[in-house]
Amino acid sequence: MHIMEGFLPWQWCLVWWLIAIPFLIVGVIELRSLLRKDREYLPLLGVCGAFIFILSALKLPSVTGSCSHPTGTGLSVMCFKPFITAVIGFIVLLFQALLLAHGGLSTLGANMVSMAIGGPLVGYAVYKLLKNTPVNIYVTVFCVAAVADIVTYIITSFELALAYPAAVGGVAASFTAFFVIFAITQIPLSILEGLVLALVFKYIIQLKPDLIEKLGVFSKKQIDAALGTPDAPSEKV
Amino acid sequence: MFENRKLELLTLIGLFAFVVLFIIVSGQSGHEFAGSDDVGSEKIAELTGKPVDSFTPVIPQYEPPSGEIESTLFALQATFGGVIVGLVIGYWYGQKKRPVNS
Repeated sequence: MHIMEGFLPWQWCLVWWLIAIPFLIVGVIELRSLLRKDREYLPLLGVCGAFIFILSALKLPSVTGSCSHPTGTGLSVMCFKPFITAVIGFIVLLFQALLLAHGGLSTLGANMVSMAIGGPLVGYAVYKLLKNTPVNIYVTVFCVAAVADIVTYIITSFELALAYPAAVGGVAASFTAFFVIFAITQIPLSILEGLVLALVFKYIIQLKPDLIEKLGVFSKKQIDAALGTPDAPSEKV
Repeated sequence: MFENRKLELLTLIGLFAFVVLFIIVSGQSGHEFAGSDDVGSEKIAELTGKPVDSFTPVIPQYEPPSGEIESTLFALQATFGGVIVGLVIGYWYGQKKRPVNS
């Protein structure tokens, strides 16, 4: 979903940067206060961040005959909320912009708004919606991860459409064109990402149910129900 | 025994379906499996009527000199993530085996 360096007029670069910066600032403040409160969260933060690193390095082939990569932001946004996720996403995108020429410094704002902010925010909304329903928490994780992934690409399409409206049909027509390129490719990938992150989440709650509970991601009752064996520690890893 | 392994099974089926889809699609001609980023860039060139090469970086940037080096850097990125995940899961696993209050 990277918008390549130079492919966005500077006015739009500025707009997206201006939207992204407040998220980054609030995220850094939240991150500092979280880690000052309890170092216990650091490993979980590492795992959430690591999955963004791993998944966004994998360029997978898709049914449309082109390749794209998942985003992995769903886990982080559920555990640490959108602002901290924005910071982690920023780090990954900065790495790719500086060393890999995937995306660039001028388009980093736009890429952040799609992958590190917009996608996770919508994923977070899905999480809020499903959290207090009887829906199985693995299903919730699946939906959050898949939605955060696909929305990232929808936003990228939108950003490009705004900057490059088609001569005939304007923004809507070029949105459709970019949507076909980015979002359709992404559908199978986002399903796969949802499955993988749900599985990862299962291992996290098997090992550290108390952390997830303390962060208020899910209640103890929900976690026990998902693990299937209330109060009996699971020995399967 | 599959009662507790439903999710693993489902993920495997998903992976399998994904691979099968890939094999079917790659069997058809006309698919280059280029990155969607590049396809998107070409679309921009098409919409603006300017060739892809005419888009030069606004801020100068380092570009990996070859695909080999690029793949190394991507592998490093994934390795970094993998190391952290393994480290933390192992750390938690060890904690669980040996309770702190013993």
